[in-house]
Formats: sequence, structure tokens, C-alpha cells
Amino acid sequence: MPPLEEIHWQGLGVSEGIVIGRVLRMHSGTRYVYRARIDEADIERELRRFRAAVRLGARQLQKIKERAEVQLGKDHAYIFDAHLLLLEDKKLIRDVEAYIVEERANAEWALKVVGDQLLSVYSEIKDEYLRERGSDIDDVVQRLLVALSGERPPHRNLSHDAVIVSQDLLPSAVAELDLNFARAIATDAGGWTSHTAIIARALGIPAVVGLRDFYRRARTGDSIIIDSSNNEVILNPSPATTEHYRHEADRLSQRGRTEALAERGPARTTDGIEIILRANVELPTEFAGVTRYGAMGIGLYRSEFLLSPRAGLITEDQQYAAYADVARVAGEAGAIVRLFDLGGERNPESWDGQQNPALGLRAIRFGLRQQEVMREQMRAILRAAAEGKLDIVLPMVTDVDDVRRARAILQEEEAGLQQRSVPFGRVRVGAMIEIPAAVLTADKIARVVDFFELGTNDLVQYTLAVDRGNDQVAEWFRTLHPAVLQEIEHSLRAAREAGIQAIVCGEMASTPAYAVLLAGFGATDLSMTPASIPRVRHALNNIDSNAAREICLDCLQCEAAEEVETLVRKRFLAKWPQVFSVRNLPASRKRQ
Amino acid sequence: MVERTLTVQGRLGLHARAAAKLVRVANGFRSNLRLERIDGSAEADAKSILSVLMLAASRGTELRAMADGDDEQEAMNAMEELFFSGFGELQQEVK
Repeated sequence: MPPLEEIHWQGLGVSEGIVIGRVLRMHSGTRYVYRARIDEADIERELRRFRAAVRLGARQLQKIKERAEVQLGKDHAYIFDAHLLLLEDKKLIRDVEAYIVEERANAEWALKVVGDQLLSVYSEIKDEYLRERGSDIDDVVQRLLVALSGERPPHRNLSHDAVIVSQDLLPSAVAELDLNFARAIATDAGGWTSHTAIIARALGIPAVVGLRDFYRRARTGDSIIIDSSNNEVILNPSPATTEHYRHEADRLSQRGRTEALAERGPARTTDGIEIILRANVELPTEFAGVTRYGAMGIGLYRSEFLLSPRAGLITEDQQYAAYADVARVAGEAGAIVRLFDLGGERNPESWDGQQNPALGLRAIRFGLRQQEVMREQMRAILRAAAEGKLDIVLPMVTDVDDVRRARAILQEEEAGLQQRSVPFGRVRVGAMIEIPAAVLTADKIARVVDFFELGTNDLVQYTLAVDRGNDQVAEWFRTLHPAVLQEIEHSLRAAREAGIQAIVCGEMASTPAYAVLLAGFGATDLSMTPASIPRVRHALNNIDSNAAREICLDCLQCEAAEEVETLVRKRFLAKWPQVFSVRNLPASRKRQ
Repeated sequence: MVERTLTVQGRLGLHARAAAKLVRVANGFRSNLRLERIDGSAEADAKSILSVLMLAASRGTELRAMADGDDEQEAMNAMEELFFSGFGELQQEVK
């Protein structure tokens, strides 16, 4: 037997990929319907038949919906909710029943007439997406027709290399397939926004649609190649063609792997500004997230985790081991260790005597007072810095004096280690900018440190004089207060002018909308809870920093937090509707 | 009776899935809820998905929403919220 002729068909690739497999023809489920005239006496029976079909269809759809929720996720399963509603729609049922009664028509015919009327409205819609939604109505009508026929809906278990070839796959038919086995889909009808396309993309199944009369030519069992990126389907490919596509498929899967790696670099705004995304970590259980979410190192390691309220301080060697671990997890990009931020709840000694701990002897103040604690921690960090890249950031700096004193102590410890020939690494020293006084003198502080870290949580608390833990004043805790924004703008500018790095590491950086604002204020280095990185990256990758800048400048002109929040909500929704919805923007909080 | 003008915000218009959400929300209220194209060319019962779909409202379409009943204010607010959020799916199906 001579080899079958290789045939190329052009369509529209709607879901990426190359698949080499075998054809499985599937009837689209569209049925031919004939008119029958029924006797007056049989009308009641016809109505009952129709209602039974509706109930059966509803049960089937309920099952499909549940299955789709598992396989496709809730978002895509929602379409079947729409189908369920359509099936139960009073207008549809009333119209069909009225037609049965008035025209003495069989249920199938009544359904087809009513369905066609509805569909004709749809076929005239200019908007492509909405026009294709007519297929939802068609889908429901077809399901009812099958139910009326007493047949079971087509349901197949597919062989492992099945390429579904069909005239048109109705969405529920796609969802009914055993999706674990369908390798690709090729249909005569359909466009980019057809449900077949949407579901195929959601499932990552390559699909070419709009192949016109391909279905007629393909036979179940034929060899077939789907090449979505070339909008092509090849029937009976020659051995040479098959070989070529095997290479292509390999190359594509290689590229897929490098793209997954690329997710690890900085975010890049649409106008090309790169923004580094680092991880804030505290507990060892969070370490895995640093790599998993593609963080560039650790922007903030909250070292006070090492101190437990019961056990008190740990030894220098224990600390050394912990910091070496942190450096290893952070890798090349390094980790920034914040010196013990003590003075709140985690205190090795009793500080109950302090009436107002937030304004008391905490953080760097505690370290400068209890110098042995600070020195021990510095030695541990310096020693661990021989194993990896580590830097130190000083918490709650008020002015250059705090920095100078801490730096002097660090130098003494370096000298001590050198004298004893203990190996250690160089560390840079940064200041947490989280007190308004530090913001106002940021230009001065910038001259004595290697970098800034903006701790927005404390900055909001101290600027607005609002205790974050006090529910009574929660209403006054407004991250988007114009004063806070001015401080961020001011601090970032001071860092830029001094030519030092500035990392924003508060909760603001973890929130996509705020991260975009920070980018607008010129931040190019953010540190956040690792799990937030993908969301923040997605937001930043899809915005233009100049547009963000414009919004920021307008925010700075606002009189109050409420005004900023409203402005951000409106402008973000208008500018980036594909990224932001009311759910990921600051909510309106009209004062009670 | 309360009346408000609402704009279809979702990129994809008032399609089946969005309509399903609207209808589910509308059916949670006792009031009679209607939507009408501003030019009066079509009107719909917000509690019927077919009826809503027949508005064929693409993105940017302005609709007059009317609510009539003892919970009309709440119903209108709920509908407005849904329209404002683009039916909760502004982020999906972007390509």
C-alpha cells in the first residue's frame, strides 16, 4: 500500500504547543430535528417530557460543573453555572412550553425554534466575544435535545495520544472529555475567544480551531500533528515531517524550562524598569519559599526570631550557625540581617517597666545600651559572612549618631576577630528608615550608611501616631496617608541623590497595588513575604512606571488618606483593568 | 423605586459568566430588578439569564438599572458593586 499523502491544513492556533498523535473524531453533538404535529391529548405528555429533559440536563450539568471545578478551577467552571441558569431560565422554559401548547409541536421542535430565535439575536452582535457566547445557548439546547432523545451524552475514555478532531466542540463536551488523556484539539469552527479555546488554554492543551472542513477528511486513528504556533494541522505526516516535529517539540519543552527560570529575575515594567524582588523571612519554615517564589535573596531577616521569650539569648555559635544558614538560603544575592528589634513582646528581660514600649528602649537603642548583646550578634554575623553574602541593617535609627555608634562597635568587633585570626567577611551597614526623624534627616543618614531599608509598617505607626495593635484607632491607621507617601518620596529621593541602594521592606511591598505605587515613587528594590512575590511580579510586569509616577504625583497633592485611596482605586482600575479589580485595591473606608 | 445608570466594565462585556453572577445576585433580592439599554432598544429582567444575555451588552454599554421593592436599595447597591468590579473578572482571559 502506498503511504498516505501528507496534508496540511491552516487554522488558528489558540493554545500553544506541538503534539504528535492520532485522530479521534468526535461528533459535535449537533442534532437534526424534525417537526411532528401532536394531538391535543398528547400535549400534556409532551410538556412532561420536556420538563423531565430539563431536570436530567440540570443533573448532568451539576456533575460537569463539579468536575470542572476540580479540573479547570472555579473560574472556568463558572461557565457551567451559566448553563445551569440558562437551563432553569423561566423565559426559556415558558417560551418552549408555550410553543408546544400553541403550535401543538413536539418538544424537540419547540426547543429548536425558541433556541434559534435566541441565537439569531446573538449572531447579529458586533462584539466577537459576545457573539461567540451564543454557543452557550446552543450548548444548552443541544443538551436538552440529547436528553429528549433518551440517549446518553457522549462520554469517552481516550487513548493516551488522542487528538480530538471535531466540527465544533461545545464547552460542556470539552469538559466531559477525559482531559487527562486528550493531547490536543482540532476543530472546524471556533475562534480565539471560543470556549474550546479558553478551556484548552486553561488546561494547557494545544489547540488549532477554524479548520473549516478538516473534520470530514480526518479518520479516527490517522496520524496527526498539531502545530499551534504555525496555525497548522498535518494529517498523515511523512516520517521526515514527524522527525522534524519531534525535534521542534523537544526544543519547545526546553524553552518552557528556561522561561520558568526567567521568572526568578527582577520584575520588569512595560517601559523596561527593572525592580528587584527579595524575601522577608523570619522562621526557618519560610526559607523554602525564597527559592520557590523566585526571590533575589533575602531583603530582611528578622533575627529576633532566634530569641525565644523563655530561653532568652542564644550563644554566639548558635547565632553564627543560623546566619550561615540564612546566607546559604539567600545565595548570590545575599541576605540582610536586621539586628535584634527588641523592646516589644519578645524580650529576654522584663521591660514591663516601660510605659510606652513602642517609644521606649527598643531596637538599636536596646543594642547600644546592652552592648554585649549587640557585639555578640555582630561577631556572629561577621563570622557567617565568611560563608556567604550578608549585610546588617540597623533598626529604628533616629539620626546619624545611632549609625555612627553602631558602626564604631562593628569596627571594634572586626578588629577583635582579626586579632584572634577568626575568619570573617565584610558586611555593609544599612539603616532602617522607619521613624519620621530619620526621614527628615535622610540626606544626612545616607552619607553614613551603605543602604536604606524603608520599614513602612513602623513608618505609618510613628507618622500617624497610631498603635497598630489598638483596634480603637484602627480607623486612623492609613497606609496611604499623604504624609506617609511624602515620606516615602522623600526617603527614596535622598537615597537616589546619595547614590545608595534603597529597599522597601514593609507590608506595602507585599501588596500589588502598593508595590505599583512604590514603583511610581521610584523604588526599584522591594522585599516582601515570599508568597506575595508572584502577585507583585505580575502587577509590576504589566504596568508602566511613568503612568504610576503620574498617579503618585497626584496622590502627593491629596489632602487626606480617603482622597488618596479613592484616587488610587479609580486611576488603577481605569489604567490597568487587566491587573486590578476592586478586590485588590484599597477598599473605601468612609468614616463611621 | 430606585434608578441608576451603570456601565458594563468587564473587558468581555456582559457575557454568560458575568450574566450568571448578576442573575445569582439579583435572585437574592425580593425586589423587581430590570435593566434597560439607555437608548431603550432592549430591556431585561435581571433575574433571567437569557433576558440579560439578550441585552447583548458589550464593554462600555450604558444600562439604566431599576429596582422596585422593599429591598430595592440593597439590591441596587449589590448590582452596582458587581458592575463596578467588572463582574469580578477583570483579570481573566487576558492575552
